[in-house]
Amino acid sequence: MRGKGLIAAIAVAGVTVALAACGGGGSGGSANTNGNTTSGTATKGGTYRMATQDFGFTGAFDPSAEYLGWAFTLYGNLLIRTLLSYNHTAGAAGNVLVPDLATSVPTPTNNGLTYTFKLKQGVKFGPPVNRAITSKDIEFAMERIATPSVAAQYGFYYQPVIKGMAAFLAGKAKTISGIQTPDDQTIVFNLTRPTGDFLNLMAMPASGPIPPEVGKCFTQAGAYGRDVIASGPYMIQGSDKVNIASCSAIKPMSGYNPTQRLAFVRNPNYDPATDSTKVRQALPDGFVITIDTNAKDIFDKIGAGALEGSPDDPPADIIAQYASNSSKKQFLKTNSADRTDFIYLNTTTPPFDDIHVRKAANFVMDKAALKLAWGGNIEGPVANHIVPDVMYKGGQFDPGDYNPYPSTNSAGDVNAAKNEMKQSKYDANKDGICDSSVCKSIFFMNRSVQAYPKMTPIIQSSLAKIGITLNPRELPTSPAYTQIQTPSKHIPIGANAGWGKDYPDPSTFLRTLFLGSNILSSGNTNYSLIGLTSAKAKQIGALFPATGVPNVDADIDKCTAQTGDARNSCWIALDKKLMETVVPWIPYQFRNNVDLIGPAVTAYDFDQSTGETGYAHVAVDQSKQSQ
Amino acid sequence: MGRYIIRRVLWVVVVMLVVTFLAFLIFYVLPSSKPENSFVGKAPTPELIAQVRKDLGLNHPAIVQYGLFVKRLFLGDKYGWPGLGFSYNTKSPIRDELISRFWVTFGLAVGAAIIWLFLGIVIGTISALRRRTAMDRGAMGFALLGVSTPVFFLGILWLFVFWKTLHWIPGTGYVHLTDDPVGYFTHMISPWFVLALLFAAIYARVVRGNMLDVLSEDYIRTARAKGLTERRVVVRHALRAALTPVVTLFGLDFGILFGGAVVTEKVFNLPGLGNYILDAAFQLDIPVALAVTTVTALVVAIMSLLVDIAYAYLDPRVTYS
Repeated sequence: MRGKGLIAAIAVAGVTVALAACGGGGSGGSANTNGNTTSGTATKGGTYRMATQDFGFTGAFDPSAEYLGWAFTLYGNLLIRTLLSYNHTAGAAGNVLVPDLATSVPTPTNNGLTYTFKLKQGVKFGPPVNRAITSKDIEFAMERIATPSVAAQYGFYYQPVIKGMAAFLAGKAKTISGIQTPDDQTIVFNLTRPTGDFLNLMAMPASGPIPPEVGKCFTQAGAYGRDVIASGPYMIQGSDKVNIASCSAIKPMSGYNPTQRLAFVRNPNYDPATDSTKVRQALPDGFVITIDTNAKDIFDKIGAGALEGSPDDPPADIIAQYASNSSKKQFLKTNSADRTDFIYLNTTTPPFDDIHVRKAANFVMDKAALKLAWGGNIEGPVANHIVPDVMYKGGQFDPGDYNPYPSTNSAGDVNAAKNEMKQSKYDANKDGICDSSVCKSIFFMNRSVQAYPKMTPIIQSSLAKIGITLNPRELPTSPAYTQIQTPSKHIPIGANAGWGKDYPDPSTFLRTLFLGSNILSSGNTNYSLIGLTSAKAKQIGALFPATGVPNVDADIDKCTAQTGDARNSCWIALDKKLMETVVPWIPYQFRNNVDLIGPAVTAYDFDQSTGETGYAHVAVDQSKQSQ
Repeated sequence: MGRYIIRRVLWVVVVMLVVTFLAFLIFYVLPSSKPENSFVGKAPTPELIAQVRKDLGLNHPAIVQYGLFVKRLFLGDKYGWPGLGFSYNTKSPIRDELISRFWVTFGLAVGAAIIWLFLGIVIGTISALRRRTAMDRGAMGFALLGVSTPVFFLGILWLFVFWKTLHWIPGTGYVHLTDDPVGYFTHMISPWFVLALLFAAIYARVVRGNMLDVLSEDYIRTARAKGLTERRVVVRHALRAALTPVVTLFGLDFGILFGGAVVTEKVFNLPGLGNYILDAAFQLDIPVALAVTTVTALVVAIMSLLVDIAYAYLDPRVTYS
């Protein structure tokens, strides 16, 4: 999913060098966590107030289509209950699946092909539906995911996996044959293949219950977003005033204006006895998020107690101000956002079609300087592999200090890089410096916002040490992405991309980013083109080197089918394989989420599963709130 | 007179067609980004991309899209008249949102215009009448400061002093006039003044220059020779003539504000048209950008027409032909 910071309209510049020593985090990539904190007494009541420059929703807040991380947070913490969920807490514990609407986390049967969920009794939809949630409501949500006009943005996770879903999507079936609802409390999923992360899919918002009597009225992409029916502890303000007697009578809920305000109030039908306080404490009486187009104003208001928080990244000067002040530091919360920042290397374009050049580039890169460009450890630890540690079981990569391209203080090892370059076909005289013309003035894509431009000279000077010179081009976020997502552009190297998880499983990095069959002619995210075939290269206008392109499709398929510890070990092995024998990237940072909270916040937690504030566990002291 | 107005109205239609065509070219044909990529997730299938292109109406050739846009603009669409379509970003009708934002910007422009006209005319006139005195130099110093100070700086400084430090005004944001009239004025007073200071400075300089020219005319000397009071000479004879060019300036400035008060709206967090088009540009919400451009162009064209009509009343030398 897209992170909120990714699409912030006003970019955040890098923080100062003085911040390098701030925050925790280690070189091994451990989470830099200070979630789950309280100050004062966490009590019920009050309104948790936030502001953002822009909601940034990618699917107009329709849970079937929406793909924004912060929206996932609002759904899971406040609005929508799913069969399974997470505890919405910080660290590895927040990435563990727990039952939500289901009575337990099921164990697959039929050789991993069948999952049977039993629903809890007594869970009701909020107003205006006001009836018990049944398995049919889950089934309807799944059908909505497979309805083309709804444009479910992560439907690709479900469609190939659930039996009959592809046929439903293609209009060849009226129901999804792989889903059965033998009674109101039971739903059975039959899969096309063993899928180790299927349970994670049942914790994603699109799989949450939608009452057909309302959902059937919204068949276009995003249309349901202004009338989402609650199943969680809160509902959109004005839900109870919506008339659902007919489709034409349904008007947008008053609490949501997409360009101004989103307000949640308590759902009167929510029964805490059907939920766990570990999943949701639901302490405030409401949540209000308003649009404030002035970023400085937002964080000034948080500091003054007029707001409790913001999903936006605090500006660099604000972070510096709080991080360097011992009395204010408590209001700054940093946690692993489960996101990796990297420089991608296109394995089809010279000189990066040569693995020795890719390895040399990894050895020589001054990651310490890149980190400083971002503001030091407060923005996250140095990354030496692909998937953030906290996403592996127990929050640990194995070994914890894994680094296939080590250097003192992560500043780059020129000698090791030259030794690697000597083995490249582009170093004819074997002096460790690329002497081929393909290493000169290589097109380099970067963003023109946030800390990205500060990285350009660092990357240029690092690669120059092994004879590679760059011709940088910096563009705003969206156009830069469009360029690198089009393989026919033949862009050899870029630093504008980052990747965050969709759900806490390494497959959302390793499968999504490196599966050859996922390569597209437009909107492609396998930037290094791992697994490209010559036929596909011809089809999409990409280059295809005579030496071929590395392929890990078999490894990905093997890991996808596994479960439990074997699955975890399989992904770790693939992560290492990619770093050592494929080398698609130069990962340099596991990005943190930085939250600034107001003085009235008496309890704060971080939702590790979505990488945003854990609203399910926050609390406010109304006496400390100002207007 | 009637024929002149009809001819000008027809020209407004032609201008609007040209503006919408150019805006359409800029927003739909030239962009380096593909708007559909913002709504397909990060690992889309080709089918999903095609579906979203269809949903957004991007599957038609550009010229067909423009034809549909013009048709809906004049004949309306399923959301009402004029037909402005729906926002890519919010999937909501643009028309209602644009109308709501129009009144926010209208309120900002009217409030600011009253202040800047008052300040500009008073300061410019006094400065001209007290030429080369300390008052004149002080007034022109103010004008220089107003012209030179960027709105974003002045706005942030204003908030720092009057909200954060002195607590005299509420923070940023917008309160509807009908919900809370007092809240409306207390929230709008800051953006009105900040926006007005820039224009007041410019107008003060213009009025001063015009007044100095007019005061040296023969008919002013004649009026004084006839024994008219100085007040009557200045207000009835000099000021009226000096203000005629200001009307032209005001008409265009007021119209441009409908899409051009971006910085003021941004700093003071006002949900107006300027903020709307800026956000739309960042989010590749092309229909919104096109709709605001169209409305802004229409307001400028109408203001220009009104200025030309008003000119005849203010200056007897002007005739319609």
